[in-house]
Amino acid sequence: MAIATHEVSAAPGSRRAGGVLLRKMSVVTAIACGLILMFAAHYWAVNFFVMPELPEGQDAPSALVYLLENRVTLTTMAGWVVGFMLGIGAFNGPVRWFFGKDLSDADLLYQAGKDQGVWRYFRFTTDHKVVGIQYLVITMSLLGCGGTIAMLIRTNLMTPSSSFLGPTAYNTFVGMHGIIMIVATIIMVTGPFGNFILPIMIGARDMAFPRLNALSFWLIASVVPVLLSTPFLGGMPTGWVAYNPLADQAPPGMDAFVMTIIVFAISSAVAGANITTTAVKMRTRGMTWTRTPIFVYGVVASVGLAIPAFPAFMASQVLSGLDRAAGTTFYNPAEGGSGWLYANLFWIMGHPEVYVILIPAVAALLELTPVFCRRPLFSFKAAVVAIAGIVGLSVLVWAHHMYMSGWAPSLGGSFMLTTELISIPTGLLFLVFIGTMWRGRIWTRLPMMAVYAMLWNFVIGGITGVYLSDIPADSAMHGSMFVTAHFHYTLMGAALTGTIGAVIYWFPKMTGRMFDEKIGAWGFWLIQIGFNVTFIGMFTVGFAGQPRRVFNYSEAFAVGNFVSTMGAYTIGIGALIFLGVVIASWRRGIVATANPWGAKTLEWQVPTPVPLENFDVLPVVTSDPYGYGKSDARPPDSPSDRPREGVGV
Amino acid sequence: MSDTALKEEDRTPADAPRWWERGDVRAVFLIWLILSAVGIAFAWVPAWLMGLSASSEMDDVKMTMTWFTAIAMPVGAVIWAVMIYSLWKWRYRGEQPPPDDAPGFQTNPPTVVMWIVISAVLTLFVFAWGLVKIAAISPAMAMTSAATSASSGLRVEVTGNQWAWNFTYPQLGNIQSDVLHIPLGEQTTFAVSSVDVIHSFWIVQMAVKVDANPGAITYLTVTPTKAGTFEVRCAELCGLYHAAMETTSVVSSRKDFDAWVAEMRAVKPVSSMTEGGA
Repeated sequence: MAIATHEVSAAPGSRRAGGVLLRKMSVVTAIACGLILMFAAHYWAVNFFVMPELPEGQDAPSALVYLLENRVTLTTMAGWVVGFMLGIGAFNGPVRWFFGKDLSDADLLYQAGKDQGVWRYFRFTTDHKVVGIQYLVITMSLLGCGGTIAMLIRTNLMTPSSSFLGPTAYNTFVGMHGIIMIVATIIMVTGPFGNFILPIMIGARDMAFPRLNALSFWLIASVVPVLLSTPFLGGMPTGWVAYNPLADQAPPGMDAFVMTIIVFAISSAVAGANITTTAVKMRTRGMTWTRTPIFVYGVVASVGLAIPAFPAFMASQVLSGLDRAAGTTFYNPAEGGSGWLYANLFWIMGHPEVYVILIPAVAALLELTPVFCRRPLFSFKAAVVAIAGIVGLSVLVWAHHMYMSGWAPSLGGSFMLTTELISIPTGLLFLVFIGTMWRGRIWTRLPMMAVYAMLWNFVIGGITGVYLSDIPADSAMHGSMFVTAHFHYTLMGAALTGTIGAVIYWFPKMTGRMFDEKIGAWGFWLIQIGFNVTFIGMFTVGFAGQPRRVFNYSEAFAVGNFVSTMGAYTIGIGALIFLGVVIASWRRGIVATANPWGAKTLEWQVPTPVPLENFDVLPVVTSDPYGYGKSDARPPDSPSDRPREGVGV
Repeated sequence: MSDTALKEEDRTPADAPRWWERGDVRAVFLIWLILSAVGIAFAWVPAWLMGLSASSEMDDVKMTMTWFTAIAMPVGAVIWAVMIYSLWKWRYRGEQPPPDDAPGFQTNPPTVVMWIVISAVLTLFVFAWGLVKIAAISPAMAMTSAATSASSGLRVEVTGNQWAWNFTYPQLGNIQSDVLHIPLGEQTTFAVSSVDVIHSFWIVQMAVKVDANPGAITYLTVTPTKAGTFEVRCAELCGLYHAAMETTSVVSSRKDFDAWVAEMRAVKPVSSMTEGGA
């Protein structure tokens, strides 16, 4: 814990052994430094990767032009990322340590953002609460980008033969919508709430590695401009899966994808190591595993699952980048490579990733359901086992994305089994929800309505997933709009709805103000209704056989697509209202009390706004966090607790 | 699945009802029954949306969809019934947090066990269904090339290229076409490949789908059961004009098919690839 050390020595604070540079670094120097290194790298690459001398009159071979182009693009992007991280001050600590001048206590407090006002959000600040807010803002920005792109896509699909976007822009936007939303949804719970809320929830003063925490955020921040540069570099025709060999013939926009994934994988590994260590080692005294809130389990499951998953993604993109820039042939069948290699690496990440997104969002709702139902979480241990079961099984199911690929058809049965087994722990989570609601005092505030909306959506998403997991059904549905509708029901209908619930629930603690539920409810329900209209429309055209990712389609699918587009616009309006309410409430909402929901977890027991070190004295936990309702352990003379035979059998 | 009944009683001390006699349980059960009935009554919708079937494989897929939907409806209805009832019966409206007077029980082992057992049984049923249907639907999925080439019936080499399908008939003098012609009621084996990127060969109304991979051949058989013209699409994003990578599949009687073959052989003794335009 970095900032706790200030108690030890307050004296040598006047030492001016550096720290001046550190105090001047912010996002401004980061961008400046990033641009300088980017141009330097570009200049160097252009002059270093030159075309060999060609005989008179002979054109440069296109394959070589292509390699050089990708080398220059990747080098330029790497220059930007390294420069940005240098300029934000990510390497200050290691560099100072290398020269034997570790950061002074004053430096550490400065890095934690003490007394810096709003500027601490634009610096390499280590306070977990600052990082949480940074994540929240970047998540909402990414969701805004991805959502805007979705509106463009749906506008193009409103009529069967629209030329609104054209094939190049359409394909690029489909891919960008995918990857932006994937990145946004992966960080949308573990980023804002895993950082801001989790340490307070477990009674810690900060994360285990505060500087790694800042590093994980700023890595993502550095790579967002790279990702957004894709359309200006010729786009990407591949969708977010970036299948090879298609990706191998793509323009330099594809390099932006490669670079983004590599940096994002580093960021998620850093965040994963940090959050798991924090949750395992820094729970306060008395917080045994059975007294640890379920949200902590959800976040740890998510980042823990990312630790084995994302290296495969990174590897897949490193090989892809090598194919593009170094002329290797990992994925080129003509030279002995295989597209199936890519597909396997990709989906080894790709299916755990779904649960990386889903589990923490569902866990956030599990966390708030007891609060709004005034009931203990039903069968806490079943919930933990369910989460563990999902995590365990999810690494064994990847090839259900490849049933129709021709790769190892004889393994179809085994992957069908593992995939379908996952519905058992998932179903158990539903029992935990309805068991908690059973005979509760259901306080129908907006966070609780997110639970209802999520249950509705997730039932549909889960059941359509069972259809797809069964090979016969998949042989008709694979690659169709049915799949698109299915995973939007899980990732958006369940996970994003869960995140919206989490935002409203923790809004008072994170911003110090209450979320305006009156207007916010309009946004929320417009999103939900629009969502169901959009994707039920999409299910119908999927059943009828419309392929995914097409910019034009047969007249037969016209009605369903039109309905989908109208639904999508409704989501858009709802999302704008919701965003407006978030901003308005954040700026001028009613000032929140420390514990407006009457919740029992630790984050609601500290003052709002939360002090720099969260707790004056670290708390000691003596009971489980869900002690709502009438006590179960009343004396036996209470007649209603007399055990009876036959109960519940 | 009314076993969501839980062991805390209402506040009447004596003569507390058994779990299935309690009002909450009965009301939820009733709602569940209604929702399930309505849901099952609409279980035909997916198969109806899927439209025409031109092979026994597609019949199987449509039946799978109907059965899965019929089974799924009561499962979803458990959740929906509790959602509806809880909003109606247990709702608390107020500005301040509700009083802590809800029952404080933390679990109910029989319910948990029952829930797991039922979901496991359903899962195994779905799995078994899948295994049985795999065996019925596409025996050639797992076939080796040797086994397939030895098998009788028409053989069509399907080649995907950006962005068109090309069909070659090796047993019929290597005639080539960009429209798929196959005879009615006879087994046809497709040997699917690609010359550039990954495509996916999909005859929509026959539930025929397999990827066309560069550098590899995948096999699939189908026996068309209906004459007519059906849609062939690409089901894997393959670049700029993926959307336009469509053609048709003409299923006709053996006589008409032979006539078409004769015509093709007369018109062009093909040696080079007939490239489909993009």
